[in-house]
Amino acid sequence: MALPQLSRSLTGLLVGTSSIIQQRTFGVSPVAAAIQKMTRVRVVDNSSLGNTPYHRAPRVIHVYTKNGVGKVGDRVLLAIKGQKKKALIVGHKMPGERMSPRFDSNNVVLIEENGNPTGTRIKVPIPTHLRKLEGDFSKVLAIASSFV
Amino acid sequence: MLKSCVLSGCKKLGSLVLRRSVLPEQAGVFRSVCSIPRGASHGPCSLRRLAPSSAACQQRPHVFTACHLETRCYSEVNRENSHSEKDTGVSSEESHERDGDGAPSQRPVDAFTIDVLVSLLRQENAVDMCVIKVPDQIKYTEYFIVASGISPRHLRAMALYAIKVYKFLKKDGDRNVKIEGKHSEDWMCIDFGNIVVHLMLPEIRDVYELEKLWTLRNYDEQLRNIPPDKLPEDFIYDVDITK
Repeated sequence: MALPQLSRSLTGLLVGTSSIIQQRTFGVSPVAAAIQKMTRVRVVDNSSLGNTPYHRAPRVIHVYTKNGVGKVGDRVLLAIKGQKKKALIVGHKMPGERMSPRFDSNNVVLIEENGNPTGTRIKVPIPTHLRKLEGDFSKVLAIASSFV
Repeated sequence: MLKSCVLSGCKKLGSLVLRRSVLPEQAGVFRSVCSIPRGASHGPCSLRRLAPSSAACQQRPHVFTACHLETRCYSEVNRENSHSEKDTGVSSEESHERDGDGAPSQRPVDAFTIDVLVSLLRQENAVDMCVIKVPDQIKYTEYFIVASGISPRHLRAMALYAIKVYKFLKKDGDRNVKIEGKHSEDWMCIDFGNIVVHLMLPEIRDVYELEKLWTLRNYDEQLRNIPPDKLPEDFIYDVDITK
C-alpha cells in the first residue's frame, strides 16, 4: 500500500519489488505498446507446454495484426521451449479503454491452429469484453473460471 | 406471400402431402412443430423418412426454412395420425384442435428461445445434450448448452441448422450468427447472446469437461489440480500510471 505511493513520489528511482530485493538502481518507463515482438508473456492456462519450466521465458515472435502491436483478443506466435505455438492475448499491462480491466502481467492463452485452446482450464480472470470483439473467443471463455 | 409459396412448394412433394383437405393455417403448423418434440418418440423414424422430401424442397432455397419446418411437421402429423388409425376420428380431432384455438391466434414460435434450440437439437439427434442455467453473478450468458455429435459432419449439420432457424426467427435485435470453429472438426460453438451452444465430439468433450466446470464453478477438479502460482522474484509492479 505504501510502496506504490512511495514509488510515485520518487518517480522511477525506487520501484516496488518483492521483499528480497529492496532497491533497484534503474528506472522503469510506463508501458508504451501493448504486446509486440520479443515481449515476454505469461501463459495462464494449465497446459503442460505453458507450465513446465524452461530456462527462457516464452516470447512473442510475431503478432498477427496490421501493425505489430497486439491488444486483447489478438493472436500472436510464441516461441516456447524451443517450439512455435500460437496464442491469444487475454490481458496486457498497457492501459486500454477507460473502464476496461488492466492486468499486472501480459497474459496469454495457448491455442492450436484450429482455435482450440491447448490447456483445459484458466484460473486467471478473463476480460468479458472479449465477447464483443471480432474473433473466435467462445472456446476460451468456456474454459475460463472467472471473469473480470 | 410466404404462405402461398410454401403451399406450392409442398404440392411438389406429392407423396407426403396431407390426406385431408386441411388448409395449413400457420397457427396449426407451428403448434405441431412445438408439440412434436415433446412426444419425442416419433422423432428418429420421422426424420429418416423426411430425407427425400426435404431434398425436393431444396429447389426453392428462399422458402427452404419455412418449407423444411412445414414438411417435418406435416409428415409427423401424418405419422401420428396413421398410428391412431382412425381417419374420421383424427380429422375431427384436428379440426377440434384448430377450432379450440379460436381465431388463428399465434402461439407460434416467435422468438428464438432456449426451448426452440433444445427441441431443434433433439430433432437433429444430438447425443448427450446438457443445458446449464448459468447464475446471474456470472455475467457471461444465461444458458450454456453442450451437445455431442456422431461425426464432424453431424456437428456441422447441427450448427448450420441452428443458424438457419435463428436467422428465420430473428427480429431486429441481435445479429451474431457466427459459427466459431467452423474449420475445426471436433469443436464448434455458436454464441446467441443469451445462449451459448458448444457442439463437440465425445472424445474432446471428455478432455475439456465443460459441464463440470460450469456446474461446479470453483470446485471443479481440474481447476483445483492447477498448482498455485508464485510470482517470480524479480517481478516489477509498474509505476502508477494515470492517463
